[in-house]
Amino acid sequence: MTDLDKALGDISSIRRQVARSTQFRGYGPATLAATGLFAIVAAGAQAFWAADPARHVGGYLGIWVSTAILSAGLTGVQMFTRSRRMHSSMSGEMINMAVEQFLPSAGTGLLLTIVLLRAAPDSMWMLPGMWQVIFSLGIFSSSRFLPRPIVAAGAWYLLTGLICIGMGGSRALNPWAMGIPFGAGQLLVASIIFFASKEASDES
Amino acid sequence: MKAKRASREGRFAYEGLDRVIHERARLSVLTCLVTNLKGLTFNELKQLCSLTDGNLSRHLSVLEKDEMVEILKGHERNRPQTVCRITASGRKRYLEYLTTLEQVVRDAAKGAKEEAAAGAVRKLGLAEVRA
Repeated sequence: MTDLDKALGDISSIRRQVARSTQFRGYGPATLAATGLFAIVAAGAQAFWAADPARHVGGYLGIWVSTAILSAGLTGVQMFTRSRRMHSSMSGEMINMAVEQFLPSAGTGLLLTIVLLRAAPDSMWMLPGMWQVIFSLGIFSSSRFLPRPIVAAGAWYLLTGLICIGMGGSRALNPWAMGIPFGAGQLLVASIIFFASKEASDES
Repeated sequence: MKAKRASREGRFAYEGLDRVIHERARLSVLTCLVTNLKGLTFNELKQLCSLTDGNLSRHLSVLEKDEMVEILKGHERNRPQTVCRITASGRKRYLEYLTTLEQVVRDAAKGAKEEAAAGAVRKLGLAEVRA
């Protein structure tokens, strides 16, 4: 390694350190609120097309997995464009960190769905609760780089997830067992980010 | 051709290398402060940057005058304490400086690689001639 390569390594290490001490502002409140509305619409769609999810597992998963993909895609695109605007030269490091923090949760949720579907289809009723618990862990792990009150949103998802698992059986697959937690949860996340970004711009 | 020349004009001007930051002691002070947003005490900064009291005071006053750092005087356990913190504009200027510095090093690395490749070709040519 030449001195110049070492210097480049040092510069990127400073950037990473700065990124670690910076609040991530790549999540847009409007987009997050929109993902909450998607969840409510998806719950409505489930009530209409997959009212008995125990018999129509494919329909149930189709609705919620496509809602998750749509929400993740929209959030990702906005995160990319907003970070470039908000963090300019630091955007690359900030996006990497945000993805690193949330990706394990998203991956776990996906793998858990596949494993339950293949190995224990009788336990499918646990999925909505498990998704919410896993989502709460994603929020908790991201909370260090987000406004402090975001912990409340993590606690919300943890609580609703545990309640959902506690309900047990087919009741846990009710459309609103996903619609209410994610609809209200995402609106809560959006409002926390909105008010925190307002405060931050007032301070600067 | 003209357009190419225009695009190359000022290619190595590096306007972003801020004169206030581009001084070893001030660069190390700002690097410490940018990675500790809550601020550092005067003594912590002095130790981290290996500076004397007088040197650190002088550089801090330059940075304060340029509104890159703020110096807060207070008390901790009945003892006077000075805390230094980077400002929002200081942080922004530091990051711009870092981007330009990275570009300088990248350009130098690119030049060094091209030079090494040309040297290897020259050596190869000489070896063929000798053979």
